Amino acid sequence: MIGRAWWIPWLWLAPTLALLGVFLVYPSVDTVRRSFLDERSDNFVGLDNYQFIIDNPTPLSLDTHAALLNNLLWLTMFTAVCVGLGLLMAILTARVRYEAAAKAAIFVPMAISFVAVSVIWRFMYDIQTDVGTVNAVFAELGKDPVAWLISTEAPQKAFLDVPPNDTPSPFQVNNFALIAVGVWNWTGFTLVILSAGLKSISKDLMEAARVDGAGEWQIFRRITLPLMLPTIIVVTTTLVIQTLKTFDLVWVMTGGAFKTDVVATLFFKAAFINRDFGVGAALAVVLMAFVVPIMLISIRRFQVQEEIR
Amino acid sequence: MTRYSSRIFPFLLLLLAGVALTFAACNDDDDGGDDGPTDAPTDAPDIGSVDVLGIWGDDELTSFEALVKPWEDSTGGDLSFLGTRDITAQLTTRVEGNNPPDVAIPAEIGLFQDFAAEGLLAPLSECPGLEAKITANYPDGFVDLGTVDGTLYGFFMKADTKGTIFYDPAYFAANNLTPLTADSSFADLIALSDEILALGLPPWSMGQGANGGTGFPGTDFIQQILLNEAGGDAYDGVIDGSVPFTDADVKDAWEKFGQIALTDGYTSQGSADVINATNFQDGVFPPFEDPPEAAMTYMGGFASGFIADQFPNAVAGTDYDFFPFPGGGVTGGSNIVYAFNSDPTTCSFLDHIASADAQQIWVDLGGFTSVNSNVDASSYPDVVAQAQAEQLTTAETFRFDLDDAIGGDLQSTFFTGVTSYLADPSTLDSILADIEAVR
Repeated sequence: MIGRAWWIPWLWLAPTLALLGVFLVYPSVDTVRRSFLDERSDNFVGLDNYQFIIDNPTPLSLDTHAALLNNLLWLTMFTAVCVGLGLLMAILTARVRYEAAAKAAIFVPMAISFVAVSVIWRFMYDIQTDVGTVNAVFAELGKDPVAWLISTEAPQKAFLDVPPNDTPSPFQVNNFALIAVGVWNWTGFTLVILSAGLKSISKDLMEAARVDGAGEWQIFRRITLPLMLPTIIVVTTTLVIQTLKTFDLVWVMTGGAFKTDVVATLFFKAAFINRDFGVGAALAVVLMAFVVPIMLISIRRFQVQEEIR
Repeated sequence: MTRYSSRIFPFLLLLLAGVALTFAACNDDDDGGDDGPTDAPTDAPDIGSVDVLGIWGDDELTSFEALVKPWEDSTGGDLSFLGTRDITAQLTTRVEGNNPPDVAIPAEIGLFQDFAAEGLLAPLSECPGLEAKITANYPDGFVDLGTVDGTLYGFFMKADTKGTIFYDPAYFAANNLTPLTADSSFADLIALSDEILALGLPPWSMGQGANGGTGFPGTDFIQQILLNEAGGDAYDGVIDGSVPFTDADVKDAWEKFGQIALTDGYTSQGSADVINATNFQDGVFPPFEDPPEAAMTYMGGFASGFIADQFPNAVAGTDYDFFPFPGGGVTGGSNIVYAFNSDPTTCSFLDHIASADAQQIWVDLGGFTSVNSNVDASSYPDVVAQAQAEQLTTAETFRFDLDDAIGGDLQSTFFTGVTSYLADPSTLDSILADIEAVR
């Protein structure tokens, strides 16, 4: 800007930069530093902590493999179901008169804190039929109650008695039960954003397609989906970052027990219950490593958008 | 732009004001959060406040506050209490951040021993007269447990016996069953269970669920069996590491526990999944329902408090009672009190809560067994509480709760191990190896 000193923008940025520096940059650097030190952060141990994560020597105490696999399951299932359901509902609600009410109803869970959601669903999943709504419904339908948060059986066993009895590690009933709660909470978010994206598609385009004889599914595949792709990508990126941060939901509902641990609950246990700051920091670094590529993609897209302007 | 700013500006101002007010309100709260009225009378000298981190909430907290009130009234001090079951994480974080509380009152001594060894605690001798009082009024066993490297750092309050099996005396009398005694054996317990099973009622009720400690009732059961079947020396060996968890005696104790929990029809819960999912308090109630859904339940002495709360018309001794765990050996837990500094306020506070007069207040309120030998045994509110206090003080063999004594990640691994074992008993060997590996 002509006539302005060069340092004025920096002056405006200074408070934010200071806060970021103290609460973001310093802890991140310190965490990476601690991941190379031992439990009380006294001595250098090189890559021992990362070796611990790879070897998983004490699965009963800190099951690193289960946590990583669970995180992958959350990443894929939570994001896919949330975006898919959000898209479906965006399209459906656009066609009814009570659209605003429907969207509000689906969005309400977003207004509740994660901890409150976890407590509510802990009661819903309770094994006693006079407390747990889900099991009460099952009892009405004549089926046995299922220990939703505890059972590590294959998911279909809860509904139908078909083999296999046990599926590989992350595909457990309790994981899916937790993901269901997460989806219940976040679908409102995807719905609202995708609905806005849907509305930005010109009506004339759809009309023209219909006039040309395109069926609904074709309209969806050829017009809606491609035009909504940027919005879908934004929503997906946000959800992926959100899912990697998942802690309160798992912690309040199961405390990470019964192999429902995710990396966030695991490093909390390692650092603050087992007082092993080395392993805790290493796990936190692994989590950061997962998030960094997503962040880079986000930033690139943002830069591309800026260039277009 | 001016059109927007004239509409938005007042709104922004309001928002800012709201945020500022919220911050002010939050900062005005005590760091305690959960405590009730703690206003000191204005005419007493004010010696400041003491910051205490403990595990008590609800009823227990109300009783503790009643215990502390005379101190607040006479010295003008202020109790700032934060009760959380997540105390290990809280303590660890605060100590790491160089902001420890003044006093901590947890139930496990593993972390206490770590802190003491690292020199973070204030020895009780730094408080005038306190160490002498403790060594004079508390049983040797408890004084030893509070000593690390020859220095006394902590004392115990609110002890609990874990050698109690609760039952409904009316049901036993009506069916000609005799409760066991300390001289009975584990085989007698199985025989009694089979007898009850033949009457058509599941002999046991059991719940393992607990926030942050799922599996702890199972660990209590296993350590009781271990103490009574293998003896005090083996028990001590497991604590100090000379006896590994993979030892035959330990494995036998687990398998006996499995016999009770997993034999067909033995538990009213039915399957391991339901046992794991049932909250430990809910697991205590079935024998006292009308009609009873089970005959016996194993739980520490504090269960009498839940039973009395859940069944307000139940009379102690007639509607609910306990018989000692067969074998005579008693394990028990207790809250340990230790301090991070020896400021005058802290010392005055410790002095008060260690005294028999203060602890008598909680004894009268019920649900509290004191370890101070000056507390009158006959002052306990009902026969069950009295019997528990007697059991604690007269036990032939008494040991501190095993996982509380070791603490740390071995404790949490032990808990997880119990639920894993119940879900799949064939994995016992690998579970035991895993627990031992964490030591």
